[in-house]
Amino acid sequence: MSECLTFQMGKYEARFPADLFYTRNHMWMRTEGRRLVFGLTAYAVRLLKDVYFLDWQTSAPVEVERGQEIGSIESSKALSSIFAPVQGTLLRFNDDLLSDPSAISIDPYGAGWLFEMEGDASVALRPEDYVKFLDAGWEATQRALKKQVQGS
Amino acid sequence: MNPSKLTVVLSQAQGQHPVRRHLEENLASALLLEHGIDVSVIPHLYDLTEDHTGMLFLRSITGDIVVLSWLYPRAAHWMLDRHGVKGKPGEARLAGGEEEEEEEEEVGPASEDTEAIGDEEKPKPIEAADVPDRYIYTLDLRQQDRPEPYLEEIRRIAAECLGRRKNTLSEGHSASRAGEMKPRGFIARESIAGPAASRGNGRPGSEQLLATPARRRWYPVIDFSRCTNCMECIDFCLFGVYGVDAKDRILVENPDNCKKGCPACSRVCPEHAIIFPEYKTPAIAGANLGSISGLKIDLTRFFGGDDALSLAAKERDRELVRDGRSAVGLTAGIPKRQGARNKEGPRDELDQLMDKLDKLDL
Repeated sequence: MSECLTFQMGKYEARFPADLFYTRNHMWMRTEGRRLVFGLTAYAVRLLKDVYFLDWQTSAPVEVERGQEIGSIESSKALSSIFAPVQGTLLRFNDDLLSDPSAISIDPYGAGWLFEMEGDASVALRPEDYVKFLDAGWEATQRALKKQVQGS
Repeated sequence: MNPSKLTVVLSQAQGQHPVRRHLEENLASALLLEHGIDVSVIPHLYDLTEDHTGMLFLRSITGDIVVLSWLYPRAAHWMLDRHGVKGKPGEARLAGGEEEEEEEEEVGPASEDTEAIGDEEKPKPIEAADVPDRYIYTLDLRQQDRPEPYLEEIRRIAAECLGRRKNTLSEGHSASRAGEMKPRGFIARESIAGPAASRGNGRPGSEQLLATPARRRWYPVIDFSRCTNCMECIDFCLFGVYGVDAKDRILVENPDNCKKGCPACSRVCPEHAIIFPEYKTPAIAGANLGSISGLKIDLTRFFGGDDALSLAAKERDRELVRDGRSAVGLTAGIPKRQGARNKEGPRDELDQLMDKLDKLDL
């Protein structure tokens, strides 16, 4: 992989390839012609760690709104819904992940890709802007996580 | 009702889940044979209306109660509280349970130190009102798949309650206490679960007790050990679910005004005091995250691209539009706290945080 930007999560250095775009819900985006390929960023993967369950609520192809809930993901200590990163048509899911989602953790920018879409990519951030976005939200994220860990 | 007996109430799962029914039936029949225990079966606690026989029965119990349900213990406890079935939270020690150290903070009023993490001005929880001097133990039937651990725990609780009563009696003030604690809506047990009580398929309880609730319900349940009466939920909800009681305490006044599936107000609550027991994520459904094996950190608010507030506003808009009203987005009932209050609190090293997260692995 080419150049990377980094973001320090404590001792862990999350890496973001400079040739990709990013969304605020912690997905990376690669353009292949009109097609947009999405996956989870190293930041998201660090929060999740070992993903072992992935489920999609819809079958492709399907029209989705930006922010629409489309699936859920679970690791040994965390879970989350997954939301459409942009508005458009969801063309295809990475079916290999359904039987074994571990590629999401092992190879997030490669074999761990999640789905392909066609749609409005204008909301995507350049890598440097994504890192700035992470930086700005980092304190709040830590506080919110800590609150959950303490169950308060 | 025999005061020396412990009342165990088993609240059934919704629907006809065969595995769950099986555990319920095994438990109920085993409990029938236990000495010193009265067992009754009621439908799913969350679906019971005020006037359901099962609810009237629960209110008629004056002594200690064990409630077994397919709900997080915290959710069940505050659900009962809302329905006037009040008591001190008993500390359950079910293996695989989430109680352990976490539960203690709910027991006494002296819980200030549990949140003494540096922010002195943090508002205090308002705690449950008018709690009688008895204990309610809520056990989650999802924690174990065999009846034995529950039976064992119920025996332990029975002994604990008996011991406590003996102590109280010897101190000589229990009689007057018990008198003033009589729950409202008192109905003698015999009038509900009388002659029909032990008929049929070996399960206890009358058919009235088990009458199927008219429908599944959906409403918020407030945890008053967390709620600070800040009123942000009442401002945020535009469906009139919340109100205040005579003492200006927040109250789920019109539960059935609530919109099925919508957990928006719980995301807005700064203390995470609002529980939707049937919601898919454990944090909102009333789990005590962090002290548990097998329960998960909910990252949804980070992965949604939205913060909790925007997500809540979206969920609320969806329900407004469904009702033929206009979406309001972030223009109505939005908490003033955002930012200001969140600036308090210690700054934590991520490593510590991640260590804690890692410790949750089992």
